Amino acid sequence: MSHHHIICSNVSFSYDKSFEILHEISFTAGHDDAIGLIGANGVGKSTLLRILVGLEMEFTGEVSIGEIKVTKKTLPRVREKIGYVFQDSENQLFMPTVYEDIAFAPRNYGLDSDQVEERVRHALDLIDIDYLKNKQPYKMSGGEKKLAAIATILAMTPDVILMDEPTIALDPRNRRRLINILNNLDHIKIIASHDLDMVLETCNRVILMSEGKIIADGETREILTNRELLEANGLELPFCLQGETGVSYKPSVPHTHIHL
Amino acid sequence: MGKLSDAIYEVHYMDTIAGIDSPIHRVHPLVKLIVTVAYIWFTVSFNKYDVTGLITMVVYPVALFSLSGISFGHSIKKLRVILPFVILMGILNPFFNREPLFLLYGITITEGMVSGLTLLIKGILTVLGGYLLISTTRIEAICYALNLLRVPEILVTQILLTYRYITVLLSEANHIFEAYSLRAPSQKGIHYKVWGSLIGQLLFRSIDRATGLYDAMVLRGYNGNFRHSQLPKARWQDSAYLLVWMAAFAVLRYTSLTALIGSLFVR
Amino acid sequence: MHMADALLSPAVGGAMYAASAVTAIYSVKKVKEDFSPKKVPVMGVMGAFVFAAQMINFSIPGTGSSGHICGGILLAALLGPYAAFLSMIAILLIQCLLFADGGILALGCNIWNMAFYACFFGYFCLYKPIIKNGMSRAKIVLASVLGCVLSLQLGAFSVALETTISGISELPFSVFVAAMQPIHLAIGTIEGLITAAVLIFVFETRPELLNAEATENKFSLKKVLVIMGIVVVLVGGALSLVASSNPDGLEWSIGQVTGKDELDTDVSVHAALADVQEKTAVLPDYSFGNDNIAGTSFSGIVGSGLVAGLCILLAVIFGVYKKKKKADVEKT
Repeated sequence: MSHHHIICSNVSFSYDKSFEILHEISFTAGHDDAIGLIGANGVGKSTLLRILVGLEMEFTGEVSIGEIKVTKKTLPRVREKIGYVFQDSENQLFMPTVYEDIAFAPRNYGLDSDQVEERVRHALDLIDIDYLKNKQPYKMSGGEKKLAAIATILAMTPDVILMDEPTIALDPRNRRRLINILNNLDHIKIIASHDLDMVLETCNRVILMSEGKIIADGETREILTNRELLEANGLELPFCLQGETGVSYKPSVPHTHIHL
Repeated sequence: MGKLSDAIYEVHYMDTIAGIDSPIHRVHPLVKLIVTVAYIWFTVSFNKYDVTGLITMVVYPVALFSLSGISFGHSIKKLRVILPFVILMGILNPFFNREPLFLLYGITITEGMVSGLTLLIKGILTVLGGYLLISTTRIEAICYALNLLRVPEILVTQILLTYRYITVLLSEANHIFEAYSLRAPSQKGIHYKVWGSLIGQLLFRSIDRATGLYDAMVLRGYNGNFRHSQLPKARWQDSAYLLVWMAAFAVLRYTSLTALIGSLFVR
Repeated sequence: MHMADALLSPAVGGAMYAASAVTAIYSVKKVKEDFSPKKVPVMGVMGAFVFAAQMINFSIPGTGSSGHICGGILLAALLGPYAAFLSMIAILLIQCLLFADGGILALGCNIWNMAFYACFFGYFCLYKPIIKNGMSRAKIVLASVLGCVLSLQLGAFSVALETTISGISELPFSVFVAAMQPIHLAIGTIEGLITAAVLIFVFETRPELLNAEATENKFSLKKVLVIMGIVVVLVGGALSLVASSNPDGLEWSIGQVTGKDELDTDVSVHAALADVQEKTAVLPDYSFGNDNIAGTSFSGIVGSGLVAGLCILLAVIFGVYKKKKKADVEKT
């Protein structure tokens, strides 16, 4: 196996010619990478994640996951090795109970019932949600749904986990729980998020995007402490760093008056 | 809207009581389905003038309510849905059939009165029969039972998915409606000018949700076949349950038990 | 229009189950023919959508009352008739189980009365022919309203027919029909207008969602009528066979109620029967006293023929209308 598990070279994407959503995206990710994918709304973070799992195929450039080039033909093999946690857990939990949901992927990959049982057990243990096993999705809280959604993809035993805004709509305790879980998973992770504090705690590397391009790619601390860089791209310092300068934080953006 | 939030509550409530544990809840779903259908079948097959025979069928709901621990109170709510029409039809019967049957303490009882009464009793018993199935069996379990009965897979999946997303869409519809009524406080329903766009928005959200759902499914290896777990095998208790009720229904239906009992007291 | 179990005899309930099952099996086959895996989640979510949307009240201008959307036509326009039919089955089943809206034995009737007519008759005979040569606001309104009205009229008529044949209610057929049809004419018009409003909104914002399979389906009016005719004859025949093998038993039960011999049961029963027949009058010889199976079955088929005839008549009327409409289009 090569050192680079995910290779993205010169990937561009657009729905129609006039407006390019992604422009010449290139990066690689190795086995010990946990990447925070950050950037303002609409810079193409989700699109990039969707391209990596082959949900958008009309891109130019090349993507390969674990030495398999992503094409229409290789999709089943690629998807077996990559788990995608959607922003809306409601869509990800479509079976009657959590158990059934976690078992969905193993069953589709043709495992027998003992192996399925084993996979489900393992996924439940990893996230420590055995108590949710027989619960119906609509009776669960947002936090529980998110954890269950993560379990559903862990049952596929993926090498790579992609997450779209995992901490959105979680209360502080569930968010903390999620951070701990993420830190315990030794998969390659790419996490698209506006929650920079979470990124700071869970990722060793950050890719900053703006207008469909990669603006910066480097160590988490380096990028997340660079106030000018962040603010130039529609972000702010992580909250936990905002107090570090000693004085209370003031945005360097000129103060604007809003007339109503 | 009360109606939407009521419906959400109702789905949750039914699911909760279907999830408790009791001897009836433990019976195999297929067996319960068959017994329920048989019960309703036998109940409606009683002749429209056979009040005394029909009344014996009350044994089944009484037995199931007490064995399952399901409260009778909530089932009255269910009767509310379909009973008005049945009552209306029942009340009309005495007017359209005035053929006298017998005298009771000086009052002429007509065929219409008797048939109206049986109609009402049938209405109550059949609704209770259905209620006792769904309050002791989860919808998923009923779907798996349908699967065993060779109902096409695509239809079973359809029921499961519709059921899964009913609460999601009911609450989305509720949000839309609440947002609407907060800004249009004096209206009872939706103004005709926004009929299309309001439901249309809900429709688009649903379609986007379906797309998201499909994405989530294909990413986990879905290719058109929906696999779910199978039901456990029936136990001997299940067969016994089936046999006992079938025998009981047959006895209640084809022997005049009330007349027999009555003859013990009346010479 | 959900029917209760109590109004049905087992034979009618069973026959309608059979008719709905045949249609469902055919629909499953059709849906599988050009199957794309995406259909499954879309059908599921759309079923839930209709379920929720039907609970929203729309105020009707000028009146204090409110109306709802017509799920069958809307689903047929979005998913095609076969997938729509399956979706409607799921909706009706869940309504029946969870909300006791319509009974378990009556489910076959309810599927037929509410899903079949809207998805197939409303769609193939009205919606599609009208929409065929391109959509416009006016055409959508026309198609939706006519589709809803006709499918609700047929549904209401079927409710009356099923109830009368079951013989549980003493309400004469003619009275029942006279009460059902006008009410459902009004309801159908309103439902059609609301459905049209939704379809117009879709047409103007995301037209690609509509009529996905209009081009693939070469399903003619004739074919629908033939299928319906066959089903009607089969159901009618089966029904009267079951009815005749299961003798009325009026005498028996009246004897029981009355304590055997106080009353000349024979007279009252026959009087009652004759009375009912006089009032219904549509099928005067439907059950003529003897036990001749062939005879009863024959009258069943005659009855079915009448129903089929009525359906064809309606279809022809609308068929003429359709041609006229076409001619008008060509003229301009």
